[in-house]
Amino acid sequence: MFIRIAAVSLVLLACWVVYLDAVVTSRFEGRRFEVPSRVYARPLELYDGAGVSSGALERELALSGYRKGDGAKPGSYRRNGGHFIISTRGFRFPDGNEPRRKLSLNIYGDRIQDFSVSAGDNAAIVRLEPARIGGIYPAHKEDRILVRLDEVPPQLPAALMAVEDRNFYDHFGIAPASIGRAMLANMRAGRVVQGGSTLTQQLVKNFFLTRDQTLLRKGNEALMSILLELHYEKNDILETYLNEVYLGQAGTRSINGFGLASQFYFGESLKDLDVHQVALLVGMVKGPSYYNPRRHPERATQRRNLVISEMEEAGLIDSQKAARSRGLSLGVSAKPSYSENRYPAYIDLVRRHLARDYKEEDLRSEGLRIFTTLNPAIQYAAEYAVTDTLPRLGSGDTAKALEASLVVTAKDTGEVLALVGGKDPQFAGFNRALDANRPIGSLIKPFTYLTALEQPDRYTLMTPVLDKSFTLEFDDGRRWQPKNYDGEERGEVPLHRALSKSYNLPAVRVGLDVGVSAVRKTLRAFGVVTPISEYPSMLLGSVAMSPVTVAQIYQGLATSGFNTPLRTIREVTDSGGGALSRYSLEVDQVADPAAVHLLQYAMQETMQEGTGRSAYYSVPKELTLAGKTGTTDDGRDSWFAGFSGDLLAVAG
Amino acid sequence: MSRQSVFHVGMLAALLSLAGCASGPGGSIYVPAGGASRAPEPPQAAGEEKEPQVWRKSEQTESQEPEQRPERSNKPSYQDAGDDLSPAALSLVREADNLLSSGDAQGAIVRLERAQRIAPRSAEIYFKLSEAYVAGSKLGPAEQFTLKGLSLAGNDTRLQRAGWLLLADIRRARGNVAGASQAEERASAL
Repeated sequence: MFIRIAAVSLVLLACWVVYLDAVVTSRFEGRRFEVPSRVYARPLELYDGAGVSSGALERELALSGYRKGDGAKPGSYRRNGGHFIISTRGFRFPDGNEPRRKLSLNIYGDRIQDFSVSAGDNAAIVRLEPARIGGIYPAHKEDRILVRLDEVPPQLPAALMAVEDRNFYDHFGIAPASIGRAMLANMRAGRVVQGGSTLTQQLVKNFFLTRDQTLLRKGNEALMSILLELHYEKNDILETYLNEVYLGQAGTRSINGFGLASQFYFGESLKDLDVHQVALLVGMVKGPSYYNPRRHPERATQRRNLVISEMEEAGLIDSQKAARSRGLSLGVSAKPSYSENRYPAYIDLVRRHLARDYKEEDLRSEGLRIFTTLNPAIQYAAEYAVTDTLPRLGSGDTAKALEASLVVTAKDTGEVLALVGGKDPQFAGFNRALDANRPIGSLIKPFTYLTALEQPDRYTLMTPVLDKSFTLEFDDGRRWQPKNYDGEERGEVPLHRALSKSYNLPAVRVGLDVGVSAVRKTLRAFGVVTPISEYPSMLLGSVAMSPVTVAQIYQGLATSGFNTPLRTIREVTDSGGGALSRYSLEVDQVADPAAVHLLQYAMQETMQEGTGRSAYYSVPKELTLAGKTGTTDDGRDSWFAGFSGDLLAVAG
Repeated sequence: MSRQSVFHVGMLAALLSLAGCASGPGGSIYVPAGGASRAPEPPQAAGEEKEPQVWRKSEQTESQEPEQRPERSNKPSYQDAGDDLSPAALSLVREADNLLSSGDAQGAIVRLERAQRIAPRSAEIYFKLSEAYVAGSKLGPAEQFTLKGLSLAGNDTRLQRAGWLLLADIRRARGNVAGASQAEERASAL
């Protein structure tokens, strides 16, 4: 009987081992890690003449994880008034490496002067490392930067072994002696004070099992550890451990592996860490939350110093170095260099653009690097404009009900520089900049007048147009009688004034004269892909568009008739930096430049003495603006689209 | 002030407070004309003395001559001449030149797009982009970049001539003989 039971148990155990073996190998043979895609802002270009204020440069440096310091260590800068010394860390861009350099520059009148490279390859223009602005995560929300064993500082695995598993290279997955020692210590203390797990066991626990402390789980853990060691090299297991280990939490995102932990706690690459920093990370393996250096610096320091002593004892560092390292502060950056989902509306647009070419599962797991066009300085100002302006527009319920969105683009490149999707820029909900399709009102008028000005034998800016009411009668007997906003009529007015004052009656008359279909054709050429009404009421903007679409069609008006498709992404590379997609600049001439120039003139007049003149209450007269305001009949929607310098903005 | 206008002012302030950050010196197509006092006058009638124009999308006709535009002083105006190249942009253009001569058209385009971002109103960079696209046998974009460059060449006859001749070559390569001759005529008329 006993033999039978033993035989059945053995068979069951064998089956179980076969099953566990399959579990272990399938995970190890396939893709071991799902690595989130990383989304970067545009890198700041530093060169003589570049437009940037001292404050903006400091903000940009902070976003890129720079620390204020001596400016000698890579990733640090020194500021003295408008004088900056910056030591870059270098960065691998899709078009090549930007090596480490030490830069010196002055900022005067919000422009860079006396730019020079004092150490490193000389260059007239240098890119800072781009700020990381978001990620696209796997469902389990684990974030990591994969590292290879041969590229981590050798002290890291050595320290890890000294502290966690001294016989790592000698055992076969489990270390019975250590388990025995730990059991004894735990029994003596009456609670769990010591763990006897090898690194392999810890990896197995994280990789395959739950955190429950049951005997069955312990048994599985031991079996799987042995199986893992049977199949794979020690170094392979160690490398996987370095990338797997849990080292902290940032909101819903978990920080896994030493590669990301180094960035998360120090803002530096793993390969650049000093001994005391390596020791801290190794110490945190025991309890990332308990030894969190930002929350519990004293505890973390104690633990770190213990690790340093272990390293000294194991002969990894000499006693002098150990003593010096123990005396150092933790060296942790004040806060993680980037906070998750800082720009939800912008990332939303990026994801929609990516969805054209990439599968969601690849974005979530392949560790792609996505280089966007977001300009953090302009985004900052755009958010400020919305959050600062909106509360001043009403009180009580009116203020609560008001919403806003804002799109800023670089007009000659079509790059979307900033996007605000609602009155709370941090709220990742309904994205008004993309999804709120509202009647565009008078914003349509420039396209009507452009259609007319493209017939220079019939229309010029001085052509008198009639500001006088009329009634349109349709075949089915319905009547339409457009009116001016103020209800007045002025008789003949020159075309440029009809536009700058945004009179409705001349706009409709001119539109009917050139033909609704011709105006629709112009709108199509400028990039409207959604249906456009064929009714004359479209001449007063009954056609609905999102702010992003308005930005797209105004692009052509701002650039003398060249359509430039809006882009949020410059490049996508794989995790190793290999190019996957480039989204190139495109231009397409869609209108007569001479006619657009005339129109721009009238749009400048709009800002100087027309419906947009209130803008000059707050901006210097020297700045030349061109733009168009729009309000729908019921007053529910208010728009502005305008351009100046290199920028175009649409607010709705 | 109405609610809407306040809203616009706020938005504009956002845009403008940044205009300086984003554009290089002289980077605006709009230049303040006539200093501080800029009460705009209505533009002069321009239509009467102009020849009727026929404009086609890909074949740029005579651009407006300065005297046909509304008067320049003391009113809204635009500058159709592009930026001078800064040493930074120039260094990127040189890199692109080297890549182009070693047969790496795509690498050249990447450098030139970077240059274009910091000097978006430079006709020269658009012509270079056009050359890079020609080298990559992409004549459609090449023609468009040439047209864009021409729209920014202003009164620089050397640049204009180079642009028209480049356009003529591209059009001929695309089989548009009439368009090519037209471009050549424009070049020789300079």
